[in-house]
Amino acid sequence: MQRTKGYPEALDKKLADTRLFEDERHPDFTKTIEKISMTIPHMCYQCGTCTASCPSAPRSSYRIRKFVRRALLGLEDESLTDPDLWLCTTCYSCTDRCPRDIAPTDVIMAMRNLAAKRDIIPVNFLKTVQAIYTTGHGVPNNDVNRAARKKLGLNPEPPTTHGFPQYVKGIQYILDYFGLKERADKIVKEREG
Amino acid sequence: MHEYAFFLGCIAPNRYPGCEAAAIKTSEKLGIKLLELQGASCCPAPGAFGSIDLNIWYAMAARNLLLAEQMKKDIALICNGCYKSIYEVNEKLKHHKELREGVNEVLKGIDMEFKGTIDVWHLAELLYDPKICGLQKIRDSVTVPLEGTRIAVHYGCHLMKPKKERHFGSTEHPYWIEEMVAALGAEPVEYRNKMLCCGAGGGVRGYDLVHAIDITNEKMINLREVKADALTEVCPFCQLQFDRGQIEIEEKFGVKWGLPVLHYNELLGLAQGMSPQELALDLHAVSCEPFLEKIL
Repeated sequence: MQRTKGYPEALDKKLADTRLFEDERHPDFTKTIEKISMTIPHMCYQCGTCTASCPSAPRSSYRIRKFVRRALLGLEDESLTDPDLWLCTTCYSCTDRCPRDIAPTDVIMAMRNLAAKRDIIPVNFLKTVQAIYTTGHGVPNNDVNRAARKKLGLNPEPPTTHGFPQYVKGIQYILDYFGLKERADKIVKEREG
Repeated sequence: MHEYAFFLGCIAPNRYPGCEAAAIKTSEKLGIKLLELQGASCCPAPGAFGSIDLNIWYAMAARNLLLAEQMKKDIALICNGCYKSIYEVNEKLKHHKELREGVNEVLKGIDMEFKGTIDVWHLAELLYDPKICGLQKIRDSVTVPLEGTRIAVHYGCHLMKPKKERHFGSTEHPYWIEEMVAALGAEPVEYRNKMLCCGAGGGVRGYDLVHAIDITNEKMINLREVKADALTEVCPFCQLQFDRGQIEIEEKFGVKWGLPVLHYNELLGLAQGMSPQELALDLHAVSCEPFLEKIL
């Protein structure tokens, strides 16, 4: 079965160096994670229930327990630059089973937020932003679907921002307020030309 | 008649319009009227937006909530992803003053203010709730019982998990959607690791398709084991992942499963006598014919 490109090398590199350097630790990172995620990674006793519950763990080197440990140790760069950060499907199985009442999924989301601030983010996330900025929908309508809707007796455009495009302005205002569209355009252009 | 603002999301109206048509028609027969929520947008996708910046996610979801607040109607929706965004942001903004103030600061620019006057429901939980509809009413509405079919249920993640922020109780082994399937005359079947994710969430489908469909493939293996005739779910995004995912699995892994995947509302539509044409079942990537032959 085909596995994801690059993982064996990435995994080897990670396993090769497991030393902890004091100067890589940022206590502020732990605090920021706790604030954004509204959960308590410092309560983790590393039992591994989260990794055992994780659908991504058996098919990649992604280990949610490792990320929670990194949050606790304040290993900012190691957390945010790890490509595995983006393999969480946010299924919340770990959150429901954690015996310490931590929400590891929300720790991941907080880390992703911090990574995105540094422009470390896969382009597919930004393309969703671009689609929503233009049409209000992450998955916009198309001609095949319009024809199908007509046959069902529905309006070819659903009564969302598709049917009422005047509402798109409000969405654009919110995204512009955070400067997200501009950043998305810039990053997508840099990566894909 | 219970009235709700019907939040559509993206995948249902733009990829599986049959889900939308079925939801409106079937619930009307069960005493639930779904009203147009004009100007609603993407919920926005909790995986994509939540990963970029939770504050933007709160603000965008709040805009959708406020459209329903202006209508003075609770929201009903048919997608687990939308449920996470719309339900969770509604609850968070109601209970966290700091978040609410932050969001209202943004929304001031488009003359909106979050007040927290409405609730958000998944249509499936409304159909199950005896105060709104209930199993007996579903049973009474069935004109074409789905007898002789074995149907497996995929609950999806964001409807019931995380359990602390929901009201469904334990998420290890729920059985209520199976009861709803049984109410249609079909035989619900359980399978190994039923609560496993479909693989699409959290932006993983876009980030690493092979990883995502590998999870889907595991579900397919477990479903084949119990000889299910069809899979039902309450989330068009899971439906997309299972339906188009089977084509992708065939391309990448060379395995052909051919398992029809139907939204619960589509099943309900069939059981209430709607034709496959009225449900646009031809838009499904995996043919529903083998399943339809058993019931029609």
